[in-house]
Amino acid sequence: MQKQNAAPAEITKDSSFPQELRARAGFYQLLAGAFVEEPGRDYLAALRVPEALASLAELGLQFDADFTDVPLSELQDALACEYATLFTCPGGCPPMESTRLAGRFQQESYHEVKAIYRCAGFELQQGRFAVFEDQLGIELSFVAVLLERWAMMLESGDMAAAGKLEKEIKRFWVLHLGRWVRGYATLLARAAEHSFYREIARLLQSFAEEEMALLGVRVDDVDGGREKVPKSEVSVLFNPDESVCDGCERGKEPNRSFA
Amino acid sequence: MLNFKISRRAFLQASAATTAAAAASPKLLKAMEVELGGKDFNPNSYIERKSIPLTCHVCNIQDGAIAFVENGRIVKLEGNPEHVSTRGRLCAKGNSGMWYTYNPDRIMYPLKRVGARGEGKWKRITWDEALAEVAQKLDAALKEDPNTISFKYGRDRTGGVIGRFMNTLGSGSLINHTSVCESSKKIGMQATWGPDIETPDFANAKYILNFGSNIMEAAYFHNPYAQRLADGMADNKAKLVTFDVRLSNTAGRSDEWVPVFPGTDGAVALALGHVILRDNLQDSDFIETWTNVTVDELKDHYKQFTPEWASKLSGVPTETIERIAKEFATAKPATTYTYRGPAKHLYGSYNEKSCMMLSIMTGNIEVRGGYCLPRGMGWPQPQPAPPKAPKPSYTAAHPDYPLAEHGVAHVLPFHIAEGRQKVNIHFTYMDNPVYTNPGSDAVWGKLYRDEKLIPYFVSWSTVMGEETALADLILPDCMYLERWEPESMPNSLWPWLGIRQPVIKPLGETRETRIIARDIIRKLDPDGKRGMKKYWNFKDGEDYMRQHFDNIPGLKEAGGLDFLKKHGVWPIYGKLNPETGKISDKTGREIVAEFGLHKKELSASDMAGAVADKSGTIMKNGKAIGVQRKGKNYAGFPTGNRLINVRVDEWAEHGFNPMPTFKRIPWHETMKDDEMILSTYKYNVHVQSRTASVKWLAEIVHSNPAWMNAETAAKIGVKTGDLVRVESKVGHLVTKAYVNEAIHPKVIAISTGVGHWGYGRLAQLKLKTEKGGAWGAQDDPDLNNVWWEDKGVHPNQIIPVVVDPIGGSQGWYDTIVKVTKAGPNDKYGDVQASWEKHVEAYKETVRYAYNGDLHRKMHPEMAAWTGPESVKHKEGGGH
Repeated sequence: MQKQNAAPAEITKDSSFPQELRARAGFYQLLAGAFVEEPGRDYLAALRVPEALASLAELGLQFDADFTDVPLSELQDALACEYATLFTCPGGCPPMESTRLAGRFQQESYHEVKAIYRCAGFELQQGRFAVFEDQLGIELSFVAVLLERWAMMLESGDMAAAGKLEKEIKRFWVLHLGRWVRGYATLLARAAEHSFYREIARLLQSFAEEEMALLGVRVDDVDGGREKVPKSEVSVLFNPDESVCDGCERGKEPNRSFA
Repeated sequence: MLNFKISRRAFLQASAATTAAAAASPKLLKAMEVELGGKDFNPNSYIERKSIPLTCHVCNIQDGAIAFVENGRIVKLEGNPEHVSTRGRLCAKGNSGMWYTYNPDRIMYPLKRVGARGEGKWKRITWDEALAEVAQKLDAALKEDPNTISFKYGRDRTGGVIGRFMNTLGSGSLINHTSVCESSKKIGMQATWGPDIETPDFANAKYILNFGSNIMEAAYFHNPYAQRLADGMADNKAKLVTFDVRLSNTAGRSDEWVPVFPGTDGAVALALGHVILRDNLQDSDFIETWTNVTVDELKDHYKQFTPEWASKLSGVPTETIERIAKEFATAKPATTYTYRGPAKHLYGSYNEKSCMMLSIMTGNIEVRGGYCLPRGMGWPQPQPAPPKAPKPSYTAAHPDYPLAEHGVAHVLPFHIAEGRQKVNIHFTYMDNPVYTNPGSDAVWGKLYRDEKLIPYFVSWSTVMGEETALADLILPDCMYLERWEPESMPNSLWPWLGIRQPVIKPLGETRETRIIARDIIRKLDPDGKRGMKKYWNFKDGEDYMRQHFDNIPGLKEAGGLDFLKKHGVWPIYGKLNPETGKISDKTGREIVAEFGLHKKELSASDMAGAVADKSGTIMKNGKAIGVQRKGKNYAGFPTGNRLINVRVDEWAEHGFNPMPTFKRIPWHETMKDDEMILSTYKYNVHVQSRTASVKWLAEIVHSNPAWMNAETAAKIGVKTGDLVRVESKVGHLVTKAYVNEAIHPKVIAISTGVGHWGYGRLAQLKLKTEKGGAWGAQDDPDLNNVWWEDKGVHPNQIIPVVVDPIGGSQGWYDTIVKVTKAGPNDKYGDVQASWEKHVEAYKETVRYAYNGDLHRKMHPEMAAWTGPESVKHKEGGGH
């Protein structure tokens, strides 16, 4: 059994400056834009400005010519097809927590996140297409708005409310995002044919790991897409060498026979 | 202190002696399952789950079901105990129905093709864009000819929506799937006694003759009928005799399995009739009173069908025929039952009629324990309704098959290829002929890939089946647990009305069929100037249902649609008895059905203005309403003369034998020793096409090795697991052999339902290894649980088209094949067939049509027929 829900570490006050929180919210929203629906013209145009590309390159993202060197309308069209192939056509990998963790649409996690949104005062509105509450883009957007709120609470000096939001974000990572986005990102990086989704997937994975470290959240990714973890790296809660039955004296005998 | 150190023997003695006291001890703890359903609880919180009654629609039996919903999620399905037909039981398919809804391969948005047809490249578009595109194409087609708009459906349970859609457009090119299903059964029966189906009273029968039906697991109405069959066999000690080429689970549970040579059930039935009439075991009074022939005529006609003749054809020993005939005729009440076995042959209509004649000649019609008329209920359509399309299309009213009232849809590709039917837009709904029809991909795939023949192809679908994958535009329909539909099926002796109602909201952007149709029409006729919009005047699915149900006498007083929403079915005939599993009335006794519907006397008001003709048929306003018999005015049977027509004059007009008869399949007569006949069948957990990707069902059955008799297998050196090459005149396949004793030596049987190349991850499995795997399907949590690697081999591609010239049915079980041990170049799963060879097969089968050159040769007894020129044609079709 692998470790689950290790105790979250306290986030230092330094890392909680409103400006930084807003910057992080921006990254969540940037990633959400790739998943909520087919990337829009404005979104792509903004990503392709030299400053944005340079910033992303600094992070290690390497888009191919299929992203950087084609006319915008052509790129938008190509990504719409890639989006459909990856996320909305049969045989693809829909970016929904339910399908990733339960293999079916609209299972427990869908209802759980829907309830969480409602408790936090949100409901999903219709975009260009109907979207599921546990869709990756929506889950990322949810954290983005919580981060924005957190920043606002800090600015207004409401530390109690800020603390609650911090806990809510951590909880959401432990219960939802943390359980599937890293595995899903590795899968997406392998599956994508277009360099945009390949690189976005890489960004998603790195960002998720950074965020979890920053939040002090430790949770195992149980998405089927995760790369295989060498057995030596699997941490377990019990010593596999200890006797299973040690309630009696005989069970403690080192060389007991089970015959 | 008591001494419990007693011996085991003494303990058992004490136990036996105190049995009565133990039995008399109060028992207050009751197992929850004896409630027989209707409620369900969360196993952890014990909170009762929300229950919503509906009519199941995984297959077409239409069982009463209940969906249990917890926190907005469907968690369980079970039978509705208030449903008179299925009495709280649901089969494995019905129990798995929610996995349709949550299938990760569902289509959730309109998809527009962006690559070549079938290439698999799509773009998501909005409903508005999709509807606008369809409306623009329809507008152009309407300007040319409404009949160039064709609509082919597989399973239409919308209660009339598809027909309304096509009538609104003025197109008569509405094409069903019935010719690959049961059309010759329908035509064999309709011409004889009116309805196209029977309702046997298995529960009260003493003897049941089952021709080619796997009642207990796959036949039409298998859930309710399997229950009644079990009741009859257990409670009534009914004897069940099954004629089948294969030891199906029904044959295996029969008192007697009689293997027959394929396609000869009709001959056996005629020989059974011969014995009954020869030995004077018939019900002469019934024949003389209720049929259009005399006993003497019948006896004379049946003289030719001797047991020796039938034995030679079928392989059934003459003594078996003699014995079964006498048993059946004397064990009253008794009934026959058929499903596809007899009907799906070149002359399936003759076979069907020959089988039902046994119930007729023994007077087992409309009696308790006998062969009964179907009981069903109808519902009014929302008004105003569009008028019927002015002219049928070529395929909808085929000139070569004028008696085939249910169409000959499986030859559509050949008609289109020949230019007899022009198509501008082709719609499909809950259909998948690229997989289900004879020739499958070699024929229908060829058609749908050809943009010259099908310029624009729109599939209303829930999943990417083999057909939908070839569409230009996919409109995402919703699943049965998410939509409204009216229902009634003649699957019990108690008529009922039911509904399907949404258990949850449709997922994604899927829409109900009626909403899709409405929205297309509204896009085409936004201001109503075309005169179409007025036929689609409803707010939503529930509003449409109210227009169906709120004014039906009886139901209206009970609450109309609100009653159905609460109970799922109407009427409620009684309560499910936990002791018997049957429906009991208020007195605790099992409810009793009404019999003798044909003997219902007409009232004085019915007779006002009515006159009886020479034969006794009572006519009123130009319509036969009953029949006079023995001084009484009876309702009779719903035929043109209110009698059972043993002699069908309309058949004679087309040069077919009007009396019960049998025609051997010509190519079976010339079979070589090393040839066999390919038969197909259906597993109890699958429908023809739609269930292969349903979790649970796919795990239970996912492959289909070919059944072969041990004797035959030994001749070609094949044992179980060996690869065999099965070659027909149109192609070949390579599959695994399953060698056993439970099949006729001249038959190889391969099930349908598996072997998909579309339909999603669980059906295709290739997603585990090929490119799809990289998309993530291989990492799907369910696919990680897939322990099998064999998805089966689908046989339809190598089955050539055959048309029953009377009923229009596909001859599914007529294909001659050569079976050999697979060679070094044969691989498991190879399937190859040729369009050109299928075209040749089509040309060959048309020769048997009433106007074909082989018709006369096949009917020497009709030498006096004056030929096809003498036939009065109904209004012909055209595009």
